[in-house]
Amino acid sequence: MGELGPDDGAGNTYSLRPGLQHRFKSSSVKECIHVILKEKLANVQYNPEEMPELTKSLSETIKDRLKEEGYDRYKMVVQVVIGEQRGEGVNMAARCFWDADTDSCAHDVFMNVGRGSTRHKVFSVLF
Amino acid sequence: MDEFQSGEEASFVVDEVSSIIKEAIEGAIGGNAYQHSKVNQWTTGVVEQTLSQLTKLGKPFKYIVTCVIMQKNGAGLHTASSCFWDNSSDGTCTVRWENKTMYCIVSAFGLAI
Repeated sequence: MGELGPDDGAGNTYSLRPGLQHRFKSSSVKECIHVILKEKLANVQYNPEEMPELTKSLSETIKDRLKEEGYDRYKMVVQVVIGEQRGEGVNMAARCFWDADTDSCAHDVFMNVGRGSTRHKVFSVLF
Repeated sequence: MDEFQSGEEASFVVDEVSSIIKEAIEGAIGGNAYQHSKVNQWTTGVVEQTLSQLTKLGKPFKYIVTCVIMQKNGAGLHTASSCFWDNSSDGTCTVRWENKTMYCIVSAFGLAI
């Protein structure tokens, strides 16, 4: 039992539930997403060749940014959808099966005047 | 008795999830043409059906299911997802389905507990 380290009587230190400071905060994550979307998509026109790369890099950027926020006990899923505005109808829905106490999601929509609109959802699940 | 064993039971089987998703899509929007008034109900129907079938599998997973339905209009649509998880136990499955008037893209993510 001595190999657990110098801490005497600390016992188990693996916390099953996050404290208030470590919870996933939807509102601050939504802010982050909004800032990134505005910065990356401000004057972008829809271009079928460039869009796949842009979509992928957006989701990577957001995921990396969130890792810096310090949610280290959380697993994250970031999904980005970019569509061209041509008057078509689009609808998106999501459902989740998780622990409502600790897990949550944040989402944001960005539309620009040109020809693109991005719906973006971040889900985070505690493990 | 330790019933909670990890191993073959606790892995995300893509084929199984893919067939669950396809059945849910066929059931909800199988022979229909795009209708603006119904699309809301269709997306929730697909997603709820998929989620309930996934939970019936009884695996120790948390699930996230998303569905995008888009009318066929010549416009382009791109989706990408990036995930921060445990590669050995977690997984994802995306199914693209279409008929003459619309596209439907369903993604299911499974995260091991």
